[in-house]
Amino acid sequence: MAQTVISLCHQHLKKCFQTLEMTNKAWNLVLAECTPLISSLGNLGEQLRALDNVQLDLTPLHRFPDLKERLRFKLLQAVDVVLCKLTDKVDELQKLLKTLNNQVSTAFQFYEHNTDTLDLATCTLRSATSPSIADMLEWLQDAHNYYCSQFRRRKYLLQVLRPDDLVFMEEVSKRWESFYSADGEEHIEDTLSRVCLFVDS
Amino acid sequence: MDENVTPGRKGNLTGSARKLKDNAADWHNFILKWERLNDEGSAHATKIVNLVLSKESAKETTLLPGADQSDTGLSVADTSSVPSSRTELFTDLEEECTKLQEIVEKMAHIVSKMEKIVSSEKGICDLETFQFGAKGRDCPLFLTWSTSQFVDVSSRLYGCYRQELALKQLILRQLAHTSDPQLSMVYLSAWLYQPYIDDKTKLLLESLLLETGHRT
Amino acid sequence: MATDAKTMFTMGVELQLLPCDPQDINTQRCRIGPFLMTSLRLNIGTPVLISTPGGSCLCTAWPRRDLAEGYFQFDPKCATPNFSSPTREASPFKCQNIRPLNCPKLKRVKVNVVVKSTELKKRMSSLLIHDFVKEILSGVHVHERHVITLSSFESEMTYIYIENANSGSTKAGLVTEKTCVEIAGVITVAEHRRRVAQESPTMSLGGMEDVYASLKELIHLPLFYPKTLSKLGVLCPRGVLLVGPPGVGKTMLVQSVVKEVAATLVTINGPVILGSRPGESEENLRAMFHQAQAASEEGPCVLFIDEIDSLCPKRAGSSNAPENRVVAQLLTLMDGISSRGHFVTIGATNQPDTLDPALRRPGRFDREVIIGVPTLTQRKSILECLSKKMPMSSSVDLIALAEVTTGYVGADLSALCREAALRAILHSSEGSDGKAIEMHHFHEALKRVQPSCLRSSIGLTDYKPVSWEQIGGLADVKLKLKQSIEWPMKYPESFVRLGLSRPRGVLLYGPPGCAKTTLVKAAATSSHCAFLSVSGADLFSPFVGDSEKALAQLFRQARACAPSIVFLDEVDSILGSRGDARVAHSVQAQVLSVLLNELDGVGLKTAERRGPQRKLCESEEHPGSQQEQQMEFHEVCNKDVMVVAATNRPETLDSALMRPGRLDKIIYVPPPDHEARLAILRLCTEKMPLDPDVCLEELASQTSLFSGADLENLCKEAALLTLHEQSMEASRVQQKYFNKVLQNTKPSLSAQQIHVNSCEIIFK
Repeated sequence: MAQTVISLCHQHLKKCFQTLEMTNKAWNLVLAECTPLISSLGNLGEQLRALDNVQLDLTPLHRFPDLKERLRFKLLQAVDVVLCKLTDKVDELQKLLKTLNNQVSTAFQFYEHNTDTLDLATCTLRSATSPSIADMLEWLQDAHNYYCSQFRRRKYLLQVLRPDDLVFMEEVSKRWESFYSADGEEHIEDTLSRVCLFVDS
Repeated sequence: MDENVTPGRKGNLTGSARKLKDNAADWHNFILKWERLNDEGSAHATKIVNLVLSKESAKETTLLPGADQSDTGLSVADTSSVPSSRTELFTDLEEECTKLQEIVEKMAHIVSKMEKIVSSEKGICDLETFQFGAKGRDCPLFLTWSTSQFVDVSSRLYGCYRQELALKQLILRQLAHTSDPQLSMVYLSAWLYQPYIDDKTKLLLESLLLETGHRT
Repeated sequence: MATDAKTMFTMGVELQLLPCDPQDINTQRCRIGPFLMTSLRLNIGTPVLISTPGGSCLCTAWPRRDLAEGYFQFDPKCATPNFSSPTREASPFKCQNIRPLNCPKLKRVKVNVVVKSTELKKRMSSLLIHDFVKEILSGVHVHERHVITLSSFESEMTYIYIENANSGSTKAGLVTEKTCVEIAGVITVAEHRRRVAQESPTMSLGGMEDVYASLKELIHLPLFYPKTLSKLGVLCPRGVLLVGPPGVGKTMLVQSVVKEVAATLVTINGPVILGSRPGESEENLRAMFHQAQAASEEGPCVLFIDEIDSLCPKRAGSSNAPENRVVAQLLTLMDGISSRGHFVTIGATNQPDTLDPALRRPGRFDREVIIGVPTLTQRKSILECLSKKMPMSSSVDLIALAEVTTGYVGADLSALCREAALRAILHSSEGSDGKAIEMHHFHEALKRVQPSCLRSSIGLTDYKPVSWEQIGGLADVKLKLKQSIEWPMKYPESFVRLGLSRPRGVLLYGPPGCAKTTLVKAAATSSHCAFLSVSGADLFSPFVGDSEKALAQLFRQARACAPSIVFLDEVDSILGSRGDARVAHSVQAQVLSVLLNELDGVGLKTAERRGPQRKLCESEEHPGSQQEQQMEFHEVCNKDVMVVAATNRPETLDSALMRPGRLDKIIYVPPPDHEARLAILRLCTEKMPLDPDVCLEELASQTSLFSGADLENLCKEAALLTLHEQSMEASRVQQKYFNKVLQNTKPSLSAQQIHVNSCEIIFK
């Protein structure tokens, strides 16, 4: 009885880690696609700022009186387009997150329903081929939290972005990149490498 | 749909309708060509600005750092394209300017052709006035537009591009002589985003194509 | 059985608290050894409530990575406001403080979002904030009235305050995607702190009900009913100036009122604002006003400028340009409020006269609230407030205490209580539990705590209490003194009943050494009032005008702690006479005119007003006890300063001083007669072992023209002589030594002097 529960639990955990691996790859792929978009945003911010700063009347461009408004409109339009694309990307991230979330919560639920069998002694037991259940649950929670916070930050950044806040616009790519957490990524990689034997078994 | 001028059947078209439809196709092609030239020119313009700026401050190879090459962005500081020695720099600059000039000349050529379309359509319109009087013909040549509407649309499109050409000619003249990075940035974005060619221009073209049966 | 044993084992377990692992930060995990987890019946992820002295914290239980027992770590992501994790040095963590908590999935949760600045509200629509908060909260265990701390990256939000869970039906629970998150408000950190602080017990203020109410109304009106006021076409007051001596509780009053009306308090401390760099002070000032402005957009706000006199001195008076600029900036800022913000400015000062007059006009500080030195009833209620938290023995009579603490301000009274409590602690020896404060503790404390309005006063003298009994003889004089000083102070109601007006001043005259000073001291002692004594030497100063100023200051202080006695010893040396042509326009003459003015007391200065103006209504039924009723009488009738002057040369005094209404009670202190001398001798020899052959009667009859001081000296000399003649071991003073001393001493008084003294006044 106990053995079957343990192996069932292991099954759940395996599935989770497979999902995690998939999520990790897909996540980084989507982020890679975002990078050029984000830098375009920054660039557009720079252009908008230059437009604001230059007094066109004092330049040869004074011959085109409506140029400033027209150009600004064009630039803002471009910003809109980029933002739309980014929102799509963020939606993709959300989908990935949801899949992971479902998988992880299933594993936790299974554990919670079987706490009688899976007592702490069992859960903290580590073997050569598999980490302890407690460790794995912890890693899964960590990974899930990491992706959640990554997602939240990036989504928030795009949501509070206003094309009229030029300083913010120019900083956007810096901020976006600041979300990248080497530690967090490393933690995920570590987790995946630690469980690779277990998942393959 | 008018049965004797069904847009699908090209062979049936004659006279004014034929001419108008061909003009519409020309508009489409000219504009496509213009866009291609614009993109090409944008690359050259960016290089020019980089060269000018690196000339201004030879110590710093890049003046506006941090901008990566991207689909919509203007890379003002492309270090790889900045040659080290000053003479090389000048020759490069001259070369780029010549290329940009060629592009602007091609654009000017396109605009002159656009002007011809407008005058030819005006001719068609005059002909109609001669044939049918001031009221024009009873039923439209294509779907709904009167002939004078074609003239109107064409001259508006022409107006946009003429203005845009004027802007580009100005940019061409000024770009290599501007040391203010901010102003250079404005020139570049003005080049790339073509402020005088707005959504309305695109709409006009699309409705022209729809009216003449190029788009269904 | 096994689990029981385990539970038994757990009960006493003490854990060593370690700081949270970096990986666990913001995960809401707490780390416990697996064995302890089992014995506490915790599973992985079981929500637990951790109670510490500083509050409580909701975590999920996880086994330690290294599976070691005896350590405890936790992440305070969801904790009570103001939660501070206990430090490692603190006593070991007891595992009883960890207990599992049932956390069902929540249907709804009501939260307050705490943001760094109002910027966020402008940036994000409420819908977006809602989504965002929901995303942050999902998967988090929350507890009502706890705060979720957000990691520093999470945008401009800093906390999420959980108001309630499932509309209050559950204390704690898990937020899931299906939980309905209701955002009660988006508030700034300052506002949040204020709300948290508001839940803490309020400060108690004694004896300020009237000022409190009027101040509260002032703040209330413009803040809460701006529309009504504008409808009436009235500009609401925006500035209040609090005036009062130091220690009466101006600052505390403002804090208390602000808390009561739930407004944000922005405090400017005059000296803190002033910077050394040119323009820095103005900049700071602007920043503070800006802060108040920002706060007022969220809710009521009060800008409190403490010690405003240091910020805003008279411009004309100081040639100092930077100060002038600060004043000008303050004026500009205060004028600017009316058009923009809805906050009230309160300034506090104890020197209203040094303020720039431009500040004290309507539109800036519209109203001035004067808080005086507390009166008797006010003192009583302050004492009541202070003693609420103290274990008081039944022997403590607060009314009596209030009576003897004339001149004490709130700060003094709290110092007094502290001192008394300290006495009580020191007295009660380690073993005894009785820490109740007795009346005698207060009496001891009274000796140590001086009223602050008398501190640095020139007239304050440290005199030993003298009882009437310590003065021999002079029964007649004593009675007169009691009538004119002690009775009006002690039984004002009787005076009122009989329509008696009390004397304003008393002049004691008589030959030197006849106990004039001692008599006054005795009077002051028995009437329990502040006693200020001044002599010529105290007043005179080489600087022009200083003496007059010192005298005026003396009276101001005396009024501040009325009822009080001002004793002018050797008044002839202080004043001289105006009639004396040689010293026209001398310092004395000017001091005299000051004294005459003060005696006439042409009104109090506004800043010296104290307490509400009350009238006695005989018909009104007094609800209080007899004692309280009496107290009210005291308060109404005893507002005056009694001036007592003493001289042995009454003839040199200016006659203006002695007309009714000034020093209207003139008492002659005669040299002691036979009876009196006998009494004095008895007093003086009370502690002397006398030989049975000593006959005091005889001595008394032999010492006519001896003053009290002479008699005291006589006894002293006799005793000394005894030691000299006999030996150091002499045990008794014999009559012969008295006689010997008597032969060598001359009385200090002459018959003529006595005659002059006794007749002088009569002929005047």
